[in-house]
Amino acid sequence: MFFMEFFEAIRDFVESGGQVLLAIGILIFVMWLLILERVFYVFIWHKNYKKETIAKWKAREDKSSWNAEQIRQAMISRVSLKLNSSIPVIQALVALCPLLGLMGTVTGMIEVFDVMAISGSGNARSMAAGVSKATIPTMAGMVGALSGVFASTWLNRTSKAERTHIEDALPLDH
Amino acid sequence: MRTVFKYLVSGLFASVVATGAVAQEQDKALDLDQLLKRLEQGQIAQNQQNERREQEFRQKVAQQDQMLEQARQERNQKLATSEQLERQFQENEYKLGDMNKALSDRMGSLKELFGVLQQVAGDTKSKFQNSVISAQIPGRIEFLEDMAQSMGKSSKMASIEEIERVWFEIQREMTESGKVVKFEADVIEADGEKEREQVVRVGSFALISEDDYLIHNPATGTISELVRQPADRYGDSAERLHESDGELVKFGVDPTGGSILGLLVQAPTLKERIEQGGLVGYIILAVGAIGLLLALERLFTLSIIRAKVKKQLKSDTIKQTNPLGRVLHVRDEFPDADTETLELKLTEAILAEVPRLSRNLTIVKIISVVAPLMGLLGTVTGMILTFQAITLFGTGDPKLMAGGISSALITTVLGLVVAIPMTLLYAILNTRSKNIVHILQEQASGVIAERAERS
Repeated sequence: MFFMEFFEAIRDFVESGGQVLLAIGILIFVMWLLILERVFYVFIWHKNYKKETIAKWKAREDKSSWNAEQIRQAMISRVSLKLNSSIPVIQALVALCPLLGLMGTVTGMIEVFDVMAISGSGNARSMAAGVSKATIPTMAGMVGALSGVFASTWLNRTSKAERTHIEDALPLDH
Repeated sequence: MRTVFKYLVSGLFASVVATGAVAQEQDKALDLDQLLKRLEQGQIAQNQQNERREQEFRQKVAQQDQMLEQARQERNQKLATSEQLERQFQENEYKLGDMNKALSDRMGSLKELFGVLQQVAGDTKSKFQNSVISAQIPGRIEFLEDMAQSMGKSSKMASIEEIERVWFEIQREMTESGKVVKFEADVIEADGEKEREQVVRVGSFALISEDDYLIHNPATGTISELVRQPADRYGDSAERLHESDGELVKFGVDPTGGSILGLLVQAPTLKERIEQGGLVGYIILAVGAIGLLLALERLFTLSIIRAKVKKQLKSDTIKQTNPLGRVLHVRDEFPDADTETLELKLTEAILAEVPRLSRNLTIVKIISVVAPLMGLLGTVTGMILTFQAITLFGTGDPKLMAGGISSALITTVLGLVVAIPMTLLYAILNTRSKNIVHILQEQASGVIAERAERS
């Protein structure tokens, strides 16, 4: 019973926001899926991979030749590539949220003006549906963008810090 | 043309036939003299005629007097009749007044009743016309119309049965508006065909057939299927109601009695919307299609290249079919080169690969930036047209302005619709190509070093 009410409240919200709100919802869902995947990677798999890399480097005898230098470079590059994958996509999704919100605004306004064109008057009650279709997606887009901005900034900083960290952890002998 | 010719000819011959000209002069003079004579003769004839007419008039004087006398007699007769008629008219007026007074005395309170009856009949008629219950019960609107008209003339009185029928009809409307009834009726389908169907009426709110909402047209009194139906779940609720045998079901009702459902028909479809965008809209869509094709081509190729590079990273045999393989092949070409030369050669090989990886990506990026701008352009031009129309026709008609603005905004929507996927695609493609370039720049020499250590 409680779930039914919950479901109906969500359904009404989505209906009053229109199709654009649905698109924004999917976008935010995908965005957070990617963000969470990254967060888990940073805290679990990345740690193991870093340990493996450092152990591999320490096991080497030769840490000074040109070959060793190139190999170290390649190791660092692999770690940071794995860390950086899908971060630019997350940033693009964050940038898309307000754009989609704007699209919702415009489609909602079109609906408002359509009602005006049909009824020929500024009847507030008949225009209310269009106004809510204009404002709800805008809000949703803003919420998505704001929540994503912090996450993507944090990920960016972490990946940069980890790269310098691993560079320090693989010392060259001179 | 001819006259000119004549003059020319006459001009040519004038010098030759001078003597002929003199003869013509004499002719003209003769003609004038004759005219004068004729005029004199004519005047003489006129004078004779006038004298004749005067004589005739004198002879007729007696006759004129007689006619005058006749006319006077006729006038006197008419005056007498007129006086008599006026007297009668006045008497009739008095009689009418007396009779009306007697009538209103006898009617007494009934007069007010009939007034109220007429008003109620008129009001109820217009209510019935807009009510969907009229689709089920025919004939009551006509009855009320006749009633209101005959009461207005006051020459005919309503019988007890008629008065009671008005009461009955109002009571029936009230009772029926609380019922859900199934009945048979002619329905005009969306394609214009007339069919006999089972129709369900929900109070005075809605009419439905099997799973479609119907609308009752007050002007013609017919039932027709809505050309555009509301969302599917409302259609499903209508179907449930149609199939229920008295148990309770959920059903979506239009409380305005059909006006909200009527608005559905007037909202334009997707195709109509795109057409509203006009030339700018089509250009945006074309640019978007081009961008999409380029992006998909890149996505496909980069995916293949990425797979090949990953395979190359793991395998020991160098294949020349992928960028990394081609870069690694440099080592085999110059096996005796020292490290600095090798690095230079590697950089060269990598630089040759980069443009092939990032081809067309800038175009996708540009499209993602330009599309919203084009949308804005379309909107602004549309607005200009709308305001021009307002300058011509004034702001008296908000429909004109609102319609213009809503079709102008469509191009903005189209621009965003193109820009959003383009931005996303650009981000994905850029990541892929950059990752491959990174592998080439940072790992190629490392891979070579590893191979050297293993061998």
